[in-house]
Amino acid sequence: MKGARAVVELLRQQNVDIMFGIPGGVLLSFYNELEQSDIRHILPRHEQCAGHMADGYARVSKKPGVCIATSGPGATNLVTGVATAFMDSSPVIALTGQVATGVLGNDAFQEADAFSLMMPVTKHNFRITDPKLLPETIRKAFLIATTGRYGPVHVDIPVDMFTSDISDEEMAKEVKIPKPKKNLSGLLDAIKLLEKAERPTIMVGGGVAWSRAGPEIMRLAELLMAPVVTTLMAKGSVPENHPLVLGVCGMHGRQVANYALNNCDVLLAIGTRFSDRVTGKLSEFGTKTKVVHVDIDSSEIGKNVKGRVGLVGDAWTVVNALIAGLQRRTKSATWRDRMMELNRECSCDYDLRSDPIKPQKVIFELSKNLPDDAIVTTEVGQNQMWAAHFYKCYGKRMFITSGGLGTMGFGFPAALGAKLARPESVVADIAGDGSLQMVSHEFATAVENDIPVIVCLLNNGWLGMVKQWQKLFYESRYIATKFGGTPDFVKLAEAYGADAIKVERHSEVAEAIKRGVKSDVPILLDFVIDPEEDVLPMTPPGKTSADCIRGRCQWKGEVV
Amino acid sequence: MMLLVYDQPGVMQRVMGEFNRKRINVETIVVGKCEMPERARIVLAIEDREKALGVLEHLRALHEVIEADLVDHSRHEAYALIQSKEGLCRVTGSVEEVDSIVTKSKPEKYVQTMNAI
Ligand SMILES: Cc1ncc(C[n+]2csc(CCOP(=O)(O)OP(=O)(O)O)c2C)c(N)n1
Repeated sequence: MKGARAVVELLRQQNVDIMFGIPGGVLLSFYNELEQSDIRHILPRHEQCAGHMADGYARVSKKPGVCIATSGPGATNLVTGVATAFMDSSPVIALTGQVATGVLGNDAFQEADAFSLMMPVTKHNFRITDPKLLPETIRKAFLIATTGRYGPVHVDIPVDMFTSDISDEEMAKEVKIPKPKKNLSGLLDAIKLLEKAERPTIMVGGGVAWSRAGPEIMRLAELLMAPVVTTLMAKGSVPENHPLVLGVCGMHGRQVANYALNNCDVLLAIGTRFSDRVTGKLSEFGTKTKVVHVDIDSSEIGKNVKGRVGLVGDAWTVVNALIAGLQRRTKSATWRDRMMELNRECSCDYDLRSDPIKPQKVIFELSKNLPDDAIVTTEVGQNQMWAAHFYKCYGKRMFITSGGLGTMGFGFPAALGAKLARPESVVADIAGDGSLQMVSHEFATAVENDIPVIVCLLNNGWLGMVKQWQKLFYESRYIATKFGGTPDFVKLAEAYGADAIKVERHSEVAEAIKRGVKSDVPILLDFVIDPEEDVLPMTPPGKTSADCIRGRCQWKGEVV
Repeated sequence: MMLLVYDQPGVMQRVMGEFNRKRINVETIVVGKCEMPERARIVLAIEDREKALGVLEHLRALHEVIEADLVDHSRHEAYALIQSKEGLCRVTGSVEEVDSIVTKSKPEKYVQTMNAI
């Protein structure tokens, strides 16, 4: 069989039923085989979006999302999509076509060194130069993407690989990769620390979302009488309507979550890499705290925060081991009760009824009116932080965002990928007008392929988050943040064949969202919001909670 | 630092990429085929032990790296290739030894690496 057929067949063997990509010269033979298979192919309007769609698909289905791009510009366009998946440990398989092996390195038409370009933004990558190795390489790619800490794997395939013959033996060749290391030797120390703790707190990161350890985390929290804070990446992995769940911590986090982090005596951190957006000034973080750090990736332990105990293993396994080893807590419930009370008090009223519409109001109505299994994606900027702070994620709801790389333009294509992975759920992208303009062409993909997602545009006419920083830290000297002219988004969406509503009054927000939920075509809700509203509270970068800018936030608890 | 890796194109780039990202200057790199088929050994000299430790786990996570370990080495070795009237001559030893031999023999041409292993 020819290489092109082999690749399609290998994808089928990996249970791939959908993939995202844009063809080109070196991919023609592959696409010719794809046409004869039952794999559904989605044609985004830009390769970056092929990457984000595969990523969104992977985050919802928890299985690899596959994207493909042609050599040269196709591959370079794909880099942002792959890097986004890399920073959030998402198992994306990125295939790129490449010029023929005979001219590799000679600057042939549309040659770019995709192998080198992708290297630092993938978990691993391959360039196939021997057709005999093609089947095992594709198999390895899938295995690596989904073993241990998930991550994207890139395979660069020169055009002559697609036309070479592959034997049945080569096709049948099984592959193995080393098992990820586990190290639970510190388990007893961890249990001792947690049992002795006066003010234990659990912090969960994206690792918990990937290993779906939420229910076990809650059992552990109840056993330890410990509140649970999440990072941005873990939002939705534990139910935010549970009194022990304090919500998202960090720069724009809930004050009660940051309070717990700053005041606990033992911190059990699971599946998080202690990003600077969470910890603020690293040297101040956890100086009074003993940290038990659990991660599937041994290189994360001690990377940003030096812990007392490190446990290497996946969140689900380690949490179960902790539950099995822990005695029912006999210490007093003072800390837990106090945190639950502060949590109640921290739940402010953000059903703001004024015009121009306040963004919090839109998030309030989304929380209220989206179904219990809705998937929310976000763009990057203020929209993302309002969503993270105010949207309530519980039950089967999911929250998908570009946390690590912070890629504007991620949310919309990721929403399309998410909807394809879980068609029965309502999927909404909470967007900013800057981000949406980076990917608005994907309305074409949504309409063409009948992917009914809701785009909730928080339209402030600015690159809002950057403007906020200019306002707060550069004496309001605004440059390059106000859009001199924005398109009529309603007309834009309609031009692509999507539905669209413009919403300018707070009293119309709920109704618009209800219409969005019922819509069976892609729909844009253009909420014209108050451009002067900032995302607050905010702990300025490199500062501690003591320097928090509060704004409307009425947090009454102490500062540190 | 000693690494055992698969002997394939791209491995050095990936390994050195980790040092680049962590801004670690590598004093010396020695790399070559080794006693095992299809494997190569990379021996790197790094001055700062803390930094070397910081990158070690990242190297171990690479799929082309089979083993990675620190080997403490307090004696600084050097290597020189000397060209004189008598022909080519290789010298290894401590930095001082190699240095003094090179100076004494007044070679026409020579190359010398310090802190090699
Ligand atoms: C691709 C990309 N370019 C630039 C940035 C830097 N950046 C972060 S937030 C932001 C503004 C986002 O504006 P918008 O999408 O309108 O959202 P808002 O903050 O107004 O909600 C920018 C430019 C980024 N994160 N990603």
